[in-house]
Amino acid sequence: MSVEPGFDREFVLGELITPRDADEICTQLAAVLGQPVAVLDAAGTVFAGNAPGAGSVQAPLTLELEPVGFLACACDAVALKGAARVVRWGLLSRARFRMVSDLHLEAVRADYAKLQQQNEALRASEAKYRELAEILDAKVKEQVRIIDERQRQLYQAERLASIGQLAAGVAHEINNPLGFVNSNLSTAERYVAQFAALRDMVPAEKWKAADLDFVLEDFAELLADSQQGVARIARIVKDLKGFSSVDQPDVQLADINGQLESLFAVIAGQKPPGVTLTSELSPLPPLMCLSGHLNQAFLNILQNALQAVGESGTVTLRSLATGSHIVVQIDDTGPGIPDEVLPYIFDPFYTTRGVGGGTGLGLTVARDIVLTHGGTITAATRPEGGARVTVELPL
Amino acid sequence: MPELDRDAGRLTFKLVYYGPAQGGKTTNLMQLHDLVGAEMKGELMTLETQHDRTLFFDLLPLGFRAPSGLTIRFRLFTVPGQVAHDGTRKAVLSRADGVVFVADSQRTESINNGESFQNLVENLGRVGLDIDRLPLVVQFNKRDLPAILSEDEVRERYAGAPWPLVFATALRGEGVLQTFATLLRGVWQGYAQELELDSTHGLTEETFVAAALGGAA
Repeated sequence: MSVEPGFDREFVLGELITPRDADEICTQLAAVLGQPVAVLDAAGTVFAGNAPGAGSVQAPLTLELEPVGFLACACDAVALKGAARVVRWGLLSRARFRMVSDLHLEAVRADYAKLQQQNEALRASEAKYRELAEILDAKVKEQVRIIDERQRQLYQAERLASIGQLAAGVAHEINNPLGFVNSNLSTAERYVAQFAALRDMVPAEKWKAADLDFVLEDFAELLADSQQGVARIARIVKDLKGFSSVDQPDVQLADINGQLESLFAVIAGQKPPGVTLTSELSPLPPLMCLSGHLNQAFLNILQNALQAVGESGTVTLRSLATGSHIVVQIDDTGPGIPDEVLPYIFDPFYTTRGVGGGTGLGLTVARDIVLTHGGTITAATRPEGGARVTVELPL
Repeated sequence: MPELDRDAGRLTFKLVYYGPAQGGKTTNLMQLHDLVGAEMKGELMTLETQHDRTLFFDLLPLGFRAPSGLTIRFRLFTVPGQVAHDGTRKAVLSRADGVVFVADSQRTESINNGESFQNLVENLGRVGLDIDRLPLVVQFNKRDLPAILSEDEVRERYAGAPWPLVFATALRGEGVLQTFATLLRGVWQGYAQELELDSTHGLTEETFVAAALGGAA
């Protein structure tokens, strides 16, 4: 196994001393020993100084077990040995220094590599946690949005429930007296006929003086009008019940056109005389839906349209079926929706009306209901003026 | 793997004394230096110390010439035992051909021994050495002290381990040579075939150990 040389390698002479320093040593030793001195490497070739002449002796420079080099000089062997010990001392110090510094370097490099690995790992885990935090943040926002929506739906459901209960209560209370009023009116009609039969019994001058011909005729007319009025009240009550759908709180197949018609009947009473309501309803397939909730949504949109047109104008209700959707459009001839308002039109508690004029929930509730049915709702100003709200419900 | 320099006719084994701080690793080398009568014996090189504790390493070179003319050299290193010097310890351990684990026999040192041995195992892994193949001897040192684990207790604890156990009092030189000799046997057994110690260089296990110890055993 070959590895890069470590701190524990064997040093050669060249690693421990430069030829220049060795030359300097040779010069100094030559002055002491009185003869030219050479430093030889481990193989015996001249490393520094002058090549030894004839009769020279050698003294080993041994750091561990074997010499890394020799001193050579034609002088006294003992003196040269002493000189070699001094030179060895210097070389040994260099060797120790090299070993320690190389070891230190090796250790530092290993530590650094380890630190870098740890750093890398930390960075990776930081990135992971950052990502996690982002995901969590998005999840929290989504949850908050869902809670918001649910809260509005709950509010709406409660409102609907109370309206429904009220409507059911009112309808019940009205239907009873309406029943006997209707029945009494029929009886009264019969009575009037009986009174008319008494005409011949009464002296003609008295009959004439009391203008009973007119009274009897008008009486019958009054009763007929009253019966019509009662029938109308009965229809309104029926529409109110149908609108609130208190009888059908669950998802069921419903005829949207029928719903829209009864809705129209409900708001017809609220409209100012100058406003025209028109409907262009195309045949629709039945839709699985919460009909009471959808009615509320359409009512909110219609009420907005009525408020937009003010005292005079037209509100048009249109329905049509595409292959996959039921489309309901409500157009008005009002001022349309300003561009700066459009982005917020479905936001909760956003209202353009003064204090007490609106809750800012009407369209929000409508949107939530439509979304609950998997549909879409859009609002826009028509090119010819006025606003158009389009609801699309998937079949 | 021992470093074989064919040109220079030299075979060098790096042997490392490992173990917890102040367990007697340096003392082992000092005693070996005095006791071993190997043909070649260098000086004990002690690098910087601090309060009598090794900061880098100690190095004792020993050697002899095989009948084949090959120079067999041993370079005995100690590691710094203190936990903080792990980087240095790991660097010294790298490229080791054999390890002596010097444990402290005192009961209070059991945990330190365990941690140090765990550190040895981890560092061997990091420097790419296989503990199952590396010659390893466990020495329980400081047998002269009171409150030590008895030999039976130590043997019981190491009953499942494959490594030879030696008991020593390094301060008095007792067991130091035996530890080294045991490691030499492990080294010979581990590398003889591959390096043709017996076949080419005329070194049996006995002559190998005897030459390294220089008849001191």
